[in-house]
Amino acid sequence: MRIKDYSEMNLQDLDVMREIGSIGTGHAATSLSQMLQKEVRITIPQVKILGYDEAIEAIGGNIEEIVGATLVKMDGDLNGLMLFLFNLEFANTIFDKMMGISYAGFEQMDAMAHSALTEIGNIIICSYVNAFTELVDMNISLSVPSAAVNMLGAILTVPIAEYGYETDKLMYCSADFVIDGKTYNDWLLMLPDIASLNRILEKLGVG
Amino acid sequence: MKLTRGQGEIITYALGSCIGIAFYDPVLKLGALLHIMLPVRQNKDDANILKYADTGLAETIRKLTAFGMVKSRAIVKIAGGAKMFEISGNANFGNIGERNAQTVRQILQRDGFHIRAEDCGANYARTMSLDVATGDVVIKTFGHPEKHL
Repeated sequence: MRIKDYSEMNLQDLDVMREIGSIGTGHAATSLSQMLQKEVRITIPQVKILGYDEAIEAIGGNIEEIVGATLVKMDGDLNGLMLFLFNLEFANTIFDKMMGISYAGFEQMDAMAHSALTEIGNIIICSYVNAFTELVDMNISLSVPSAAVNMLGAILTVPIAEYGYETDKLMYCSADFVIDGKTYNDWLLMLPDIASLNRILEKLGVG
Repeated sequence: MKLTRGQGEIITYALGSCIGIAFYDPVLKLGALLHIMLPVRQNKDDANILKYADTGLAETIRKLTAFGMVKSRAIVKIAGGAKMFEISGNANFGNIGERNAQTVRQILQRDGFHIRAEDCGANYARTMSLDVATGDVVIKTFGHPEKHL
């Protein structure tokens, strides 16, 4: 394996991952747009290799902030995790556009609302992964989505603990969604394990 | 790992699968709070010893002993070790919290520390604080009442 830690990725590797992120996020935005019956634009995606503290800062800065998250595990030619994070503002936009309701806080949401958010996270993740698998010609199976509403810091430690023996860093692909002229941070973390990252880069000819 | 003496509060935020371990010597009013993420340091070259239960606990106990902590007086409380995501059909995923808790308990028992109270497991994050004037440990969570250990 050429790369043993996310931080060993060079500019060309990052460029390739940014391209993948761009295609994936583009498809995710299309799905979101179909669900909301609204135009959804995306900003130019960024790929960053961040440590835990830096990732918290990049996402919102408050470790105790309550966020919603959907997590899907990838298996097959590629192993890793997909994590989609959203804040209350994003959740309310979705609820408002789809059902005409909004909530004052995550604690007010009932099981139905949680289930809706899990599915939206799942659809966004699946369209991302589908676009990506077509590009790299890999066979990836996705787990059933799992959702949590809890402190940002604790949710971000899930992938860090999962790969804690391999790396201290996370690869963080992000682009913002623009809905009705308003920008929402899109926190979509694609986290291949190190062996899979090498395989992706090899497949795309930069290994 | 944070350590202080006399008065003040030490806090560790958003423990998910991680474990917070509070040590307190009531006579010296000496307290420490350690936040570990994984059970065992596998790579001996890894300088980040406080990330792991085995090396982190050893270092914390060493420091506290140097500050005069007496083992028989030490009050130890632990919290965390949650499973944030449950993936159906994949029971092994996210078990790291449970493994962390087991390892911490084993090490403390081996080293002769008695765990006075604990709040581990379930599926939510915890913020843990230790008041070194009183030894009071407070657990704050989202959607659950505040708990004193």
